[in-house]
Amino acid sequence: MKKTKLGEFEELVLLTVAALQADAYGVEIKRELESRIKEKLSVGSIQSALKRMEEKGFLTSEFGETTLKRGGKRKRIYTTTSYAHKVLAEMKDIRAGLWEAIPKLTPQLKVI
Amino acid sequence: MSHQMDARPPDWPLRLLRFFVKEEYLEEIEGDMEEIFLTNVEQLSLAKARRIYTWDMLKLLRPTLIKHFKTIPTFNQFAMYKNYFKIAWRNLVKKKAYSFINIFGLGLGIACCILIFMFVQDELSYDNYHTKGERIFRVIHGESVPGKPEQSSGSAPFWVWGNAPIGPALKSDFPEIEKVVQFSGRSDILLTYGEKVYQEDGVFFMDSTAFDVFSWKLLKGNPKTALAAPYNIVLTESTAKKYFGDEDPIGKVLKGSESPGRSNRGDYTVTGIVADIPLNSHFRFNALLSLSTFRNSIPEIFGEWGYVDFYTYFLVGEQFDEAAFKKKIPDFLSRHKAWPDSRYFIEIEPLKDVYLRTKAERQPGETGSLPNIYVFSIIGLFILVIAMINFMNLSTARSMERGKEVGIRKSVGAYRSSLVSQFLGESVMIVLLSGLIAVILVMIALPNMGALTGKEFNIERFITWQTISLFVAMMLFVGLAAGSYPALVLSGFNPIMIMKGMVRSSAGGINLRRALVVFQFTLSIALIAGTIIVYFQMNHVLDKDLGFDKEQMLVLDYNYDDDVNKKSEVLKDILENNPSVLSVGFSRSVPGSYYPHAGTELETPKGDMEMMGQPIFQVGMDFVSHFNLKLIAGRSYSREHPTDSSQAIIINEAAARQYGYSNPAEAVGKKFAQWGRSGIVIGVVKDFNFASLHRNIEPLTMPLVPYACRYMSLKVKTDNIQETIKKVGEVWKEIAPHRPFLYSFLDDDFNKQYQSDVMFKRLFTTFSGLAIFIACLGLLGLATYTAEQRTKEIGIRKVLGADVRNIVGLLSKDFILLVIISIFIATPLSWYAMHRWLEGFAYRMEISPWVFVLAGFIALSVAVLTISYQAIKSAVMNPVKSLRSE
Repeated sequence: MKKTKLGEFEELVLLTVAALQADAYGVEIKRELESRIKEKLSVGSIQSALKRMEEKGFLTSEFGETTLKRGGKRKRIYTTTSYAHKVLAEMKDIRAGLWEAIPKLTPQLKVI
Repeated sequence: MSHQMDARPPDWPLRLLRFFVKEEYLEEIEGDMEEIFLTNVEQLSLAKARRIYTWDMLKLLRPTLIKHFKTIPTFNQFAMYKNYFKIAWRNLVKKKAYSFINIFGLGLGIACCILIFMFVQDELSYDNYHTKGERIFRVIHGESVPGKPEQSSGSAPFWVWGNAPIGPALKSDFPEIEKVVQFSGRSDILLTYGEKVYQEDGVFFMDSTAFDVFSWKLLKGNPKTALAAPYNIVLTESTAKKYFGDEDPIGKVLKGSESPGRSNRGDYTVTGIVADIPLNSHFRFNALLSLSTFRNSIPEIFGEWGYVDFYTYFLVGEQFDEAAFKKKIPDFLSRHKAWPDSRYFIEIEPLKDVYLRTKAERQPGETGSLPNIYVFSIIGLFILVIAMINFMNLSTARSMERGKEVGIRKSVGAYRSSLVSQFLGESVMIVLLSGLIAVILVMIALPNMGALTGKEFNIERFITWQTISLFVAMMLFVGLAAGSYPALVLSGFNPIMIMKGMVRSSAGGINLRRALVVFQFTLSIALIAGTIIVYFQMNHVLDKDLGFDKEQMLVLDYNYDDDVNKKSEVLKDILENNPSVLSVGFSRSVPGSYYPHAGTELETPKGDMEMMGQPIFQVGMDFVSHFNLKLIAGRSYSREHPTDSSQAIIINEAAARQYGYSNPAEAVGKKFAQWGRSGIVIGVVKDFNFASLHRNIEPLTMPLVPYACRYMSLKVKTDNIQETIKKVGEVWKEIAPHRPFLYSFLDDDFNKQYQSDVMFKRLFTTFSGLAIFIACLGLLGLATYTAEQRTKEIGIRKVLGADVRNIVGLLSKDFILLVIISIFIATPLSWYAMHRWLEGFAYRMEISPWVFVLAGFIALSVAVLTISYQAIKSAVMNPVKSLRSE
């Protein structure tokens, strides 16, 4: 856990990439995540998260096809690495363990 | 859809993005941005989409995405540069003499180079101002090879001056020729307006198409009609000012005299004012008369293929093919040739070639000399090279002193590259300083260049971005070239060796310096030898006995005036009564002026009549004795033989030889026919140089024309010439009050033929002198440096008993050896070059070996003087001083 340093926003983006599979390129990731968190995101935030995670080894990417709307520029398709899956699973387990630990008496209490 | 096509995102955020964001991310991000933008345009408004786009773009500028810009600690670098400047400045100031020699010598060299460049540019700029210049050609007339009418012969010279019918014939036969403009030979005419009477000698009878072809600026008047009607005259601005002052000249009437052989006298109406003809024109004029004036006066000439008095220029269409045109010339000529057996031939010459590359004679104006341009360009280059070598030598020599500086810089961590750039930068700085000095020197010298070259230089013409960038580029080049050696050598030193004082001076450096000195002095000695030869050849030309009296000969030009000719005998009698006037003669030409050519039939030794051409010198009665020509056979013209003016002729030796008489006396009494007269040869005169010494003496016939002369020449006594001139002027006023009193001295007129040679001599001498001066400056610097280097050695030698002579010898020996080597290299080079130059003269001095001995001696003594100044200074120094100092 120590070395992973996966931020909250990064985790969300990473999950989105994993969910989108072959469609995982900048615009699609942004759209998907926006619809889920119901909040506008800037291209810059998504991109910097993607680049950071690529550097840390959570993502790999390669150029995909282009569409009419992109003015001839290719998409970059992101794929999650097995390492990412491992880290995500760990995170999920940690979270799940913590949820388990919360006493069931206070279901209305907001957890921060 | 069209809406979408218009929907372009704003431009600038993209550029911002491209500038800041890492390149490998650009494609993806740009694509994403564009996709989002287009989606937004569909869903929202264009304006909103753009706003989002811009905002998103700005938010993309994040640390993870932007390039790694090198963070430059500028303050640090700046301090380093400041230090470079400081050191450079201290070095300059520390050795003021070197710095002066370096900067001033180079500045002088660059200034010479700039001046020569301007001269060359000016020569090359001739006739460039004609906007249709590319399409203007002119006809040159020559002869074909005998038996091959389609091939032009190289033997007889081409003439620009030719017949009239060629113009209309070209125009009618060749559709590719758009306009033909013809004009007469240079004419003289006396123009009178009220009180003002001037002889205009730069006048042409010019076709009305002139302004369609040439780009002379017509300030007033209609270019189509200005030269159309007979007796129209177009004046240049300054000529108009001369006659009319501030009045409007258009429509004014100038009384014009007869122009013999071209027009009758008449009243000319001013129909146009043309701006003064640019100085860089291959012919210039003060006024143009309409060619129709000529045509009206003597119409038959315009159909005569054999009558020579016209220049023919023409303007061709855009698609003109010069080579194809030349192929059509033989056919064209055979269609038009007036006499089937004549060898008349024409070629064409483009306007851009007429000033420097023409092969024709009888030009309407001056021509330049391409070899001169080469000579001066080479001298300019020499001077620059000599100055550069000085600079290099002094910098390399002195660079050794800076070894310690290099060592310290290196030990505290200077890169080699930064040392290289320091030294290169320093030398560029110094060169720029020299450039500044050069510009100042040019400013000072420019007004005198006019006197030196006979040209006027207009500095504004040279201040263009091309010349300025060329200048800056040259400065940089000189700086880098001159600074390269010290920069590369010094920066390569091993710091430890320098600090220990192990590197004194490298053998390579010394040899390079020696080689450069030899090179420099080779150039200087070659220039000195050249100067000596040019000088002696010009004296040879100017002092040569020409075979006639040109000294003390006063020449009056009355331009064939009939009234004067009628009174010539009276004039002669009155003037010869004056004791200061020794004799008076009349003639149609004077030596050095213009001669028509004539075809003369003369009986050969075999007894048949043969037709040959030669110049014709028409003279008055006492011409032979008056000019002190030597009669070697027969008799001169005489008043006792009234038929002399129609049935006799005098020829020169060369003409006698031309017709096959090896003994001139045999030619006397032979029959001749020329220009409608026939009779016998009555005398042969010894050859005299009636034309420039660039040419051999041509055959010449001298028929008698007592009442159709142009010049009156008076041999006068040397004492009190001004008084004599005044007296002659008074007589002139009385006898010919309608003619201005125009006089000149024959020797001046004759020597005008050598104007370009004299200019050449002056330029050559000046620039060679400068070259030698610069070379000596360099030598002085080097000698000083060497002496300084050996201060201790000299001190010790003196202590051990060496006297001044030994020391001076010690210091001078090396340099003198170098100069002697240079003499041996320079001699064959300059001999060859000057031999080529002398080939341009028919009468030339022999290049004696003494020239080179003298040149070598001059170079050597200048070098010895330069060196010994420093050598003696070091030799007489107190050795205690030099030995005690450390």
